Amino acid sequence: MKKFLSIFLVLLFVMISFAQISLPRNETVYVAGALWGPATTWNLYAPQSTWGTQQFLYVPPYIYDLGTDAWLPILAESYKFVDSKTLQLKIRDEAKWSDGRPIDALDFVYTFNLTKRLGVGPGTAWETYIEDVRAVSGKVVEFKLREDNVNYFQFINYALTTIPVPEHVYKKIEESGMNIKDWINDKPEEQVVSGPYKLYYSDPNIVVYERIDDWWGKEIFGLPEPKYIAHVIYKDNNSVNIALEQGAIDWIGVFIPSVWELWEKKKLPVGTWYKKEPYFLPDGVGFVYINNTKEPLNNPAVKKAIAFAIPYNEMLKKAYFGYGKQAHPSMVIDLFEPYKEYIDYDLARKVWGSEDGRVPTDLKTAEKILDEAGFKKGPDGIRVSPDGQKLGPYTISVPYGWTDWMMMCEMIAKNLREIGIEVRTEFPDFSVWADKMTKGTFDLIISWSVGPSFDHPYNIYRFVGDYRLTSPVGVSNWAGDWERYKNEEVMELLDSAVTTLDPEVRKQAYFKIQKIFYEDMPSIPAFYTAHWYEFMTKYWVNWPTEDNPYWFRPSPWHTSTLPTLFGISPADNPKPVPTWFNTTDKGGYFVPTQKIFEDLQNTLK
Amino acid sequence: MISKQMWKYIFRKLIFLIITYIIATTIVFLLPRIIPGNPLSQMLASLSQVAQANPEAIRAAEKNLMEEFGFGKPWYVQYFEFVSNALRGNLGTSVAYYPRKVLDLIIPVLPWTLLLLLPATIVAWFLGNSLGAWAGFRRNTWIDKGVLTTSLIVSQIPYYWLGMILIYFFGVRLGILPVGGAYTQGNFPSFSWNFFVDVLKHYILPFSSIVISAMGGWAIGMRLMVIYELGNDYVRFSEALGMKDKRIYKYVFRNSMLPQITGLALSLGGALGGALITEIVFNYPGTGFLLFKALTTLDYPLIQGVFVILIASIYLANFIVDFIYALIDPRIRLGQEE
Repeated sequence: MKKFLSIFLVLLFVMISFAQISLPRNETVYVAGALWGPATTWNLYAPQSTWGTQQFLYVPPYIYDLGTDAWLPILAESYKFVDSKTLQLKIRDEAKWSDGRPIDALDFVYTFNLTKRLGVGPGTAWETYIEDVRAVSGKVVEFKLREDNVNYFQFINYALTTIPVPEHVYKKIEESGMNIKDWINDKPEEQVVSGPYKLYYSDPNIVVYERIDDWWGKEIFGLPEPKYIAHVIYKDNNSVNIALEQGAIDWIGVFIPSVWELWEKKKLPVGTWYKKEPYFLPDGVGFVYINNTKEPLNNPAVKKAIAFAIPYNEMLKKAYFGYGKQAHPSMVIDLFEPYKEYIDYDLARKVWGSEDGRVPTDLKTAEKILDEAGFKKGPDGIRVSPDGQKLGPYTISVPYGWTDWMMMCEMIAKNLREIGIEVRTEFPDFSVWADKMTKGTFDLIISWSVGPSFDHPYNIYRFVGDYRLTSPVGVSNWAGDWERYKNEEVMELLDSAVTTLDPEVRKQAYFKIQKIFYEDMPSIPAFYTAHWYEFMTKYWVNWPTEDNPYWFRPSPWHTSTLPTLFGISPADNPKPVPTWFNTTDKGGYFVPTQKIFEDLQNTLK
Repeated sequence: MISKQMWKYIFRKLIFLIITYIIATTIVFLLPRIIPGNPLSQMLASLSQVAQANPEAIRAAEKNLMEEFGFGKPWYVQYFEFVSNALRGNLGTSVAYYPRKVLDLIIPVLPWTLLLLLPATIVAWFLGNSLGAWAGFRRNTWIDKGVLTTSLIVSQIPYYWLGMILIYFFGVRLGILPVGGAYTQGNFPSFSWNFFVDVLKHYILPFSSIVISAMGGWAIGMRLMVIYELGNDYVRFSEALGMKDKRIYKYVFRNSMLPQITGLALSLGGALGGALITEIVFNYPGTGFLLFKALTTLDYPLIQGVFVILIASIYLANFIVDFIYALIDPRIRLGQEE
């Protein structure tokens, strides 16, 4: 017993002699909502690296800004189109890896080649659109467009956003005989990065990044104010909510029911992008996907009737807390000014009979459409197609636990039963649901599509309408066209939109697609999903909001969120947002997408 | 001196353990695969939700992962690969946390679970048995009645429910103890006095919730054993000899303990299940938390890995208890026939 006591005392003494290590609260931004389990890897050659690897640790040549539809040059200083098929990037002279070596064209070439070899990594599948990547000089890298598969959007996207890795570090890993994909890169002292942060500490509870105080971009961008970024790994949304109410987190990206109560009732220093409804920016388009391989569900009249029967506003209000707006049937996200020109409003108004061309909820019209198409109601109130097929029973499903979407399903099913389509709700486990979705065995589901980006609405038309992306029913496919819609004309129009450099031709292609989609109704764009983003102003201020809209992808989990960290400042020492948050014509760094396409077009002259 | 009989006993126990272990791990291998769904779906879903993800990139990732994990192969091929790898100490690669090795994910969280589970189980066993024995001796007094009723109530309370009540009362209402986690956010594990106190503060609630709800069952069992033993001839004989109460108590206690030791071994599995749920309730970074994450993402290799390790440690503990039992029980120790 005495022996144990003395060991205990010695241990105690040892413990006291070591100082407690903890993060200074006012220099740390605590984050929640981007990481829900143990960290994976800080190596970009993985299907999913740990949150922060892409953008805090390793930065791309350019980051796309949604608000101004422009590009912020980070690693790159400028671009140049040598001809209509060749793009050169000039890497900043200042750009250095954190070990002091310059970031050069060979790093880019190495990264692209390694990705091609491993089949995964930065710019996965770039070889589909890019013929060749080569170093012209130490700081100039050149990309050649693939002429047998011209797609200017993808060409520009891969060239401007693919994140390079340090060749000298990766070469060493390869030489050691280790499989690059197994490399975890979790030793802070050995990390060689291009971004303003590197790993400080990680365990199953938390991942912490520390600012590099002599970052190469200091003179150009300044340093981001937070010294530490700490992501606590919470169990679920509920534990995040508790932590938020206790003032433990600053930067959040989760769904919170009745978010306004946080500041109206509980008086917490919490905010979202908008002060009023819809509170959140849109993140993408939520669809009611209708299986296009099942008869008579795939009859355009039935799909159109469903579109009229969905209680858009009521379900957004009741199930979604008003966090989203009804989507435009053109599938174009019309909440961002630059995209509005791609909507043929005249056509939309004519087809749907409402002021902005949105589909009104109108059960009478829905019934009329079905009546006219010859779907007669049977004695049980269920309609039967002209050739005798019953409209149902069908299921509408979302994963169990997605309460907001579950409620939407109930409301949609109720209305559909009313117009004579027998629909039941079904809420299986996520992976079961996902299996049905990707294998095309569902009837109706609510699911996501793609979000706003510089190639919008091409990206969404392709995602929903390009049959080449999908696979036969029963074979899993995540790439797109989950409802298995097939239309040769749409595919041709999609190709014409990306092979042309004439903006008018592109616009007309979009208009034609809209016309076809209004007739075929491949699926129904129902609402804009929310870009979950909340912030607390107790320790950090100057968060991007509608009144201070310097960055439009402010959620911590978004892959283009890095500039947010350059805008915020400590509550006890607020600083103005850097002036480079602006387009070049207004003295900022942002290069408009339009300018890039003009430069590209000028090479033809 | 360890007798021949005892060696035989231990050997038999060992064979039995190995057989049950093989059966258990086979079930653990098969069960998650019976659940319909694709373990890659969670990861592919988050890839597809990233705004700028290209269809080509998603397709390439899906192909790459299917090959990497070999989920396309028939289940018996997967099973033999799993067994042969496991025997070489390789539990495979996690799906959801790819490219992390399953073992690398489990090792950092295992100490937290053991730290919670073992002391709590032993303390509950010790406290429960002492209380039960005490109540048994003072049969039909207010002590007995009090212990019995509270034990009956407490033993029926599920761990997680008690956990939530404790969180609400001490964490939210009174605000004197933390609501979850193993230590304060922003602190890092270090050999310091402050950290030790911090961990202890976070330890009190989950520890108590396990001890309180496990204690009742032991007390009830022990009380019954003691009452039964008190009716035995040797007790009457000792009483007739005029032996002191204290000495009789000692004999009775010893004899009543034997079944309770076997009970301890049997209860370890249940206690582990309880501890896992407690960890989830308290956001405690142990294996329960990891298992919860693995189950929700249908991460086959990680689910298997957690169970293979947990079942092995439970069996090891079982074996140790059996060994102690053999030492304590003179029938086995001295080599008599059972």
